Amino acid sequence: MNPVIDYHALAPEIVLSVTIILCLLVDLFIPDRPRLVPQLASLGVLAAIIPVLTLAVSGTDVSMFGGAFVVDNYALAFDGLFLVVAYITLLVSFDEIADGDYYGGEYYVLLLTSVLGMVMMASSRDLVSIFIALETISIPTFVLAGWRKHDTKSNEAAIKYFLIGVLSSAVMLYGMSLIFGFANGTKLSVISEYSAGSPPALFAVAIFLTIVGFAFKVSAVPFHFWAPDTYEGAPLPVTAFLSVASKAAGFVALLTIIRFGFFNSSDSWQPLIWVLAAASMTFGNLAALRQTNIVRMLAYSSIAQGGFILVPLAVAGDVSGPSAWEAVLVYLMIYAAMNLGAFAVVMAVSRRTHSTEISSFAGLGRVDSVNAVMLSLFMFSLAGIPPLAGWFAKFVIFRAVFDAGTTAAVVLGVIAALNAVVAFFYYSNVVRRMWFDEAPEVVSSPRPASVALTLAIGITVVVVVVVGVYPEVFARLGQLAFASG
Amino acid sequence: MMAAIQITDTYYLVLSAALFSIGAVGVLVRRNVLVMFMSVELMLNAVNLTFVAFAKTLNDTSGQVIVFFTLVVAAAEVAVGLAIIVAIFRRRRGMTADDMRVLQG
Amino acid sequence: MTEFYREYLAVAVLIGAALALVGLMLGVGKLIRPVRPQADKYITYEAGSDPVGGWGQSNVRYYVYALLFVIFDVEAVFIFPWAVGLEPLGIFGLVEMVVFILILVLGLVYAWRKGVLRWA
Repeated sequence: MNPVIDYHALAPEIVLSVTIILCLLVDLFIPDRPRLVPQLASLGVLAAIIPVLTLAVSGTDVSMFGGAFVVDNYALAFDGLFLVVAYITLLVSFDEIADGDYYGGEYYVLLLTSVLGMVMMASSRDLVSIFIALETISIPTFVLAGWRKHDTKSNEAAIKYFLIGVLSSAVMLYGMSLIFGFANGTKLSVISEYSAGSPPALFAVAIFLTIVGFAFKVSAVPFHFWAPDTYEGAPLPVTAFLSVASKAAGFVALLTIIRFGFFNSSDSWQPLIWVLAAASMTFGNLAALRQTNIVRMLAYSSIAQGGFILVPLAVAGDVSGPSAWEAVLVYLMIYAAMNLGAFAVVMAVSRRTHSTEISSFAGLGRVDSVNAVMLSLFMFSLAGIPPLAGWFAKFVIFRAVFDAGTTAAVVLGVIAALNAVVAFFYYSNVVRRMWFDEAPEVVSSPRPASVALTLAIGITVVVVVVVGVYPEVFARLGQLAFASG
Repeated sequence: MMAAIQITDTYYLVLSAALFSIGAVGVLVRRNVLVMFMSVELMLNAVNLTFVAFAKTLNDTSGQVIVFFTLVVAAAEVAVGLAIIVAIFRRRRGMTADDMRVLQG
Repeated sequence: MTEFYREYLAVAVLIGAALALVGLMLGVGKLIRPVRPQADKYITYEAGSDPVGGWGQSNVRYYVYALLFVIFDVEAVFIFPWAVGLEPLGIFGLVEMVVFILILVLGLVYAWRKGVLRWA
């Protein structure tokens, strides 16, 4: 009665787990070589990408543990996204973590544990495994948010994130327990069959609670209030990780649970996601307009971007083909590149200015023109201006909206279009100040950006430019991921 | 002579719904971080009760297995949460959620 | 009265008996003991040492031990069902559990190396 285990299909998870254990041991027993752990961590992440590639080439779908854990193209696409994002996060972390007098080794252990949860999430097809993966992602990030433990802001970031995190888990889990009771099972395939029948009205309540739990995780309005505070208080690499990787993981969970589980009761979840999408885009953008700190601005902008990612989900029930699902994947990949890039440049600049206020970016074009060009590229990409990758992300969203073609979808499309215009103002404001304003007094003791940070900016800017010019690269990936579904 | 009250599964579900609501109100109303955290734990226990009640009704032990996982996750959350709270209390005494306004705006 | 309420009657009787017993013991004590009030008698008893007054605070160091206990206590939840199903699971189950326990031990090793277990 032993479960059948395909070790090749589990290889990414196993490689990550072994790396985590090695990092912890190295940190404990070889403490006089602090550079060893980060090197080991990045090697481990790169090594975990190899089985993802070989699995993608072999092309056979593997289903394990009674269908609770599935390795198919869909899972592999997100595995790849998470691992690349993890690698870039590691690159931007080296400087920050080495500079502070904080525990270095544990940072990488916790970060990789969170990534392990993400890789598990992509393959989960059961409410329980989704829940476990989500908690594996969240619990290390609670600690990471409070990394600078002698800093009141960081403490506050951690406790707010923690309380909201456990609250959302409880709400989500209550929804899941009701679903278990109705559908007589926790596998998404069982739930899908059940919802194809005529489920009672209370089933909609269960779906509502579950989705509200996820809405907290992806900081959708009105469940977003923790995000700006946590993003500002946490150390910058952690903020980048939270706003890209852990947010993407939340969306993957939402996508999986809707696509494989709730899809048939679209009357229950479509209106809810519609409201979340419209509110997130509108509120996120309006709040971002008022911000004077670039990290808070990026926090609100990421809430708004989250709203855009919800748009294809809100119309998914009315789209016959896979274009809505593809839109989520493509948008997440492009969003990851441009947001990580923006954070990397902010980190590089703040190493010189010791400030994240937007005013400290004034005149950057004359002082540090390379970083100014990079940040301008990322800002214009986030605003969705061609020929940078951001325009293609917006394009796939609107394509899904037109494929749906219902009145609700078109109204949401109009709201999204208006918001894209509003967003342009605050993104371009940063660019305007960099190039047209006078530079403030230069603060002493600049710390040069390391090779790793420069490499991170390089990778993300290449993605943003190349995908902007040749969007077929990601479009093809999206088609492959959803080919069988 | 009163009719016997059968303790049906509905009773468990109503109890767990009540517990969940009490916990939810606690999180929203109370301002002490520790008490808010305890309220969340109450909500998680309500969830456990629901799972076990359904496991009994449906004659499906997987509901009980899920409770194992919930318990372990709750324990991990307690460990992390208390660590964060202790880190804060070492800096400031008598912390409530309303005192955390350095970052508000 | 139905069977259901009869079972609860036993509970009610037990509660009544408990209250009566406590009342009786305290009442008899009050009747036969001498009453000589002194201020010192009303001070909280703190293991023979002088009372500190106000709320006592336990040392924050206990918290780490409580934490370690919680973690290892809860992991037993997984070990019990495994022990019951050990025979059908065979060698595979044994290896899995050894891996699981080794990872837990790693946590203990971490606590040991970080000096948490030393009472300094």
